[in-house]
Amino acid sequence: MTAFLRRYVALTVKEIQQLRRNRGLLIQLLIPPTVVLVIFGFALNPKVRDLRMGVVDQSLTPQSRAFINSLTENLSFDVTRRFVRTQDAEDALNKMDLDMFIVIPQDFSRNLRRGHPSDVQVVLDAVDANTANIAQGYLKQWLLVALTQYNTWNGLDPTTPTGAVRVRSTVLYNPGLVTPWFYVTGIMSILIFINGSLVASALAVKEKETGTIEQLLMTPAQTVEMLLAKTTPVFILLMIVLMLALGVSMVVFGLPFRGSFWLFIVSGMFASLAGIGIGVTLATVSKSQQQAQLLTFFVNPPLTLISGASSPLENMPQFFQKLSYFDPLRYLVTIIRGVTIKDAPFSALWPNLAALAAFALILFSISAWRFRKQ
Amino acid sequence: MKKILAQANKEWMQLRRDKLLLVLGVLMPVVLLFLYGSSPSLQLRNVRLVVYDYDITPLSREYIATYANAITFRLVAHEPDESAEEALARGKAVAALVIPPNFERDVRRGNNPIVQLLIDGTDANAATVLGNMAKSLNSSFQSRTGLVYSGATLVSLQQRLWFNPGLSNPVYFGTGSLGMVLALFPALLGALAIAREYELGNVIQAYASSLTGLEWILGKSLPYIALGFVELLICFGVGMLLFQYRIPTDPTVMLVATFFYLVSGVFFGMLLGNATGTQSAAIQGVQMGAFLLSLLLSGFLVPVRNIPAAIRWIAYILPATHYVNVVRNSLLRDAGWTVVFRPIGALAILAITFFALNWLQVRKMQFKD
Repeated sequence: MTAFLRRYVALTVKEIQQLRRNRGLLIQLLIPPTVVLVIFGFALNPKVRDLRMGVVDQSLTPQSRAFINSLTENLSFDVTRRFVRTQDAEDALNKMDLDMFIVIPQDFSRNLRRGHPSDVQVVLDAVDANTANIAQGYLKQWLLVALTQYNTWNGLDPTTPTGAVRVRSTVLYNPGLVTPWFYVTGIMSILIFINGSLVASALAVKEKETGTIEQLLMTPAQTVEMLLAKTTPVFILLMIVLMLALGVSMVVFGLPFRGSFWLFIVSGMFASLAGIGIGVTLATVSKSQQQAQLLTFFVNPPLTLISGASSPLENMPQFFQKLSYFDPLRYLVTIIRGVTIKDAPFSALWPNLAALAAFALILFSISAWRFRKQ
Repeated sequence: MKKILAQANKEWMQLRRDKLLLVLGVLMPVVLLFLYGSSPSLQLRNVRLVVYDYDITPLSREYIATYANAITFRLVAHEPDESAEEALARGKAVAALVIPPNFERDVRRGNNPIVQLLIDGTDANAATVLGNMAKSLNSSFQSRTGLVYSGATLVSLQQRLWFNPGLSNPVYFGTGSLGMVLALFPALLGALAIAREYELGNVIQAYASSLTGLEWILGKSLPYIALGFVELLICFGVGMLLFQYRIPTDPTVMLVATFFYLVSGVFFGMLLGNATGTQSAAIQGVQMGAFLLSLLLSGFLVPVRNIPAAIRWIAYILPATHYVNVVRNSLLRDAGWTVVFRPIGALAILAITFFALNWLQVRKMQFKD
């Protein structure tokens, strides 16, 4: 055992010294994560606002104007242009100067006065299905509000509904609806995992490239010791990155930390082990550093995409949801969100932790086995 | 010209010998296109909802049915002694609907009962959407049961969805992902091609030869731009199968835009290769610069308009922003030159800029200090 420790420590010191001289790698590992976190935390905001709306008012009556005015008061819409002919509005939509336009028919106010329903046409640019969907929802809601106001002005029944059911939504955990929290936690998880695989693969293949691997293999050190020593500095660096990412998110975005800190650390450790395992395994099948990195390039995007880090899992097609159970990143994301944004009970998180541990163990063993075989 | 072609030929031979790179070059675009086109979706579906019905009357059941019938929600059961907060904290459900006691009686008597919806705010965007969804489900419940006179019947909105009437997400992301795929590979290959020369030290030979800097970079870039077009063809075929790509009436729009896009991609990669001088750093640079930035800021995932103004300028200097714009317009809207004139102009300017920067970098063809 002592011999094992002695060799392990000696090898680790060698690796740390090598890593220290590799300034580029250090910078790569420490700076981009922070920058990425800040940029994407600010940039990613799927909230729809300022939809550019055109208006074709064929009625030109006080009623239609009041109707349009209540539309301009709505913050979701930005009534940019008014058109006389429908054809012009269609052209503007085609040229992407508008996201939508609304056509108020000639008989709008006459119909209203007579109590007939009036058809207002709305044309939406549906290329972006999500935005179009949300715009539809906004419109429906606006209409409900606008009509109560409208009826009041007209001296009609202001529809003070009695017996109406009211629904009150309460948002838990994030009552201020801070969008960056979701993305920042997701990106944090991605960084640990991807950086682990990238750096580990680069380091593991380096000895092969420089030809020093034979020398290493001739030393009395066991392959497991070699692998452990190789990954220890990376592992420590990754934990620093994780802390850095957490610190930045808390300071810049006010991310809360409500759960247990040790759960955060332990899951981060397992995830970086799993990432390192993937990296080393890929390194063993490739001949050069460049090939290894290309392979990680090939493996990482799918893992990131189906992990639920950047878009909610429920939204994905069933097939991808099932597939995501084989993605270690999925469990890390769940745990990190569980201990930061919400204070999830341990009983809900431990299956995730167990899965993550299993992945770390399996991936790391595979990498050890592959490393030995070469 | 002959020198350029000779250089291009040499580059192509080298590429052909690197089997892994070629396999990845053909396989990866297809896999990525499939993944990026079909997996992201911001549309909420099947959100897990737990219901606490403290009234248990026909009316309360009907109220619940309104939610259960919506495609947005999926009802899940809760343990008998589990509170709504617990169910949310455990991640069993994303929202909880609480119907108060005496719900039906209050409705009949004209008191206004308040139904609560507790929403998990982890994903702030989803929480907003769910809140709005609840409001419209609530009003549809009222007008359906005829409880309240609803003003909404007076004006009806006739909605027309243009260009993507099925509101299909794969169509939207599928077209955008063409831009993502073509952002990655040409830049990667360009970066590797240059960095390899530096790593192997072969760059001296290029310096010592009669090649000028201009000829050198042109010859190097040519095969990768050509390969980019091959990728375009493959991806277009896959796109026709999976994402309803159609050949636009005016295919020159796509071709010209793709040409500028590939040129800026390859030269951006070569710029990185030149600046870093090592393959692994170049790969990292491409991952950050060409891939991550394009993925997140180009309008592929979220509209560019949603990006805060302070960092929106980054989106405008990304070729991917303009290319995704052109691809979507051309394939979905079947837009002609007049519509996409601006983004193609921007692409051309970016392509020329990257090329010029490259030229400046290698003009002297001397070792960096």
